[in-house]
Amino acid sequence: MSFSGEQLARYSRHIILKGFGLRGQKRLSRGSVLIVGAGGLGSPAALYLAAAGVGRIGIIDADEVDLSNLQRQIIHGTADLGKPKADSARASMLAVNPEIEVRAIRAFADAGNIMELIRDYDFIIDGTDNFPAKFLINDACVLAGKAFSHAGILRFNGQLLTYVPGEGPCYRCLFKNPPPPEAVPTCRQAGVIGALAGVVGSLQAMEAVKYLAGTGGLLTGRLLTYDALKTSFRGIDLPRRADCPVCGEHPSITAPVDYTPAACDFR
Amino acid sequence: MILIVAGNPKEYPDDLNLTRLIELEKVETPIYVTVALNDSFVESGGFESTALKDGDRVEFLYFMGGGR
Amino acid sequence: MPDARMEPFRPDAVTDVTDVLCPLTFVRAVAALDELEEGQILEIRLNDGEAARNVPLSLKDEGHQVLRLTDNGDGTCSLLVRKLEN
Repeated sequence: MSFSGEQLARYSRHIILKGFGLRGQKRLSRGSVLIVGAGGLGSPAALYLAAAGVGRIGIIDADEVDLSNLQRQIIHGTADLGKPKADSARASMLAVNPEIEVRAIRAFADAGNIMELIRDYDFIIDGTDNFPAKFLINDACVLAGKAFSHAGILRFNGQLLTYVPGEGPCYRCLFKNPPPPEAVPTCRQAGVIGALAGVVGSLQAMEAVKYLAGTGGLLTGRLLTYDALKTSFRGIDLPRRADCPVCGEHPSITAPVDYTPAACDFR
Repeated sequence: MILIVAGNPKEYPDDLNLTRLIELEKVETPIYVTVALNDSFVESGGFESTALKDGDRVEFLYFMGGGR
Repeated sequence: MPDARMEPFRPDAVTDVTDVLCPLTFVRAVAALDELEEGQILEIRLNDGEAARNVPLSLKDEGHQVLRLTDNGDGTCSLLVRKLEN
């Protein structure tokens, strides 16, 4: 594989970067990422990965762009109101970089389609906003042996964990089951600063870039927490659970599960 | 005794179990919090019977469900 | 005794980066080297000044062997580099 003169110029800041270089760029170009959710986290992640030249990106979302999204979902513009988010996201990504392939998927991920959705991608980004989806993505990635980035945000805080098969805990090692609907506030009830989603979604893009390029260390075995009010990042080292119901030694979960989302997650 | 809670060393009363620490720290929705004690997880049913000792490191992991 | 630097190296490929500015000069040189096998020699035609100063240093920093830089007398230089894997 060789790059055109235009591609060399486009990716020059990667190529001149020692420890990344042409080799890293080629790996990005051959790589693929599925982004689940074209929202607050998915927006910066999708834009950065498109700009970086990840060869094939899937973006899945069943919603339409709403005015209340635009405070943080920077991949969509005012002119996109009412459009399917997946299509709007795809258009923005291709506007940044027409050299890549973007597949817009207008659907919600569920137990029936998740294995099929993730199958053709190297790395998955969880940019969803509810626990059923976060557990679904975790379980599917563990079962399929796929690396993925988990992230969650709430009010002024964010958290992040990368799962790579065989390395460190999965999301379910940390949290065994989703909380009951309404037990824990989500963004819809609690609010969120747009830039927080930007920080955390950008960190997810960084994890994907490093994974694809084979550069540096990943956030495996460590939950990164971000407190925006204190401007403080902390990494919490965490072990795998031998008795984890999905990644443990005797798993009880052998297929993806649909949990009922909180009532407010339906619209 | 000194406990290191969320990375911060602080003086706490002796004879403390996890349930009491969770109260002292005013942990939100404690039944949904995961506790890691010195790099291993504590089962949620075991907070009361987990006595803390000087130098223990305690982390509270909170559900964060947002993203869109 | 003949000057070792004047030994007639035979380039396996030639690339011209006089139409671009730094750091694209280096990027294009790296891409051209990527097409070669280890041990093969690339001749790079580049402009005097910044490019002639920076590209040899950057390629050396990447682990390649800089063999010779000659002034072509027309505002350009020719750089000979041997590709080394690292």
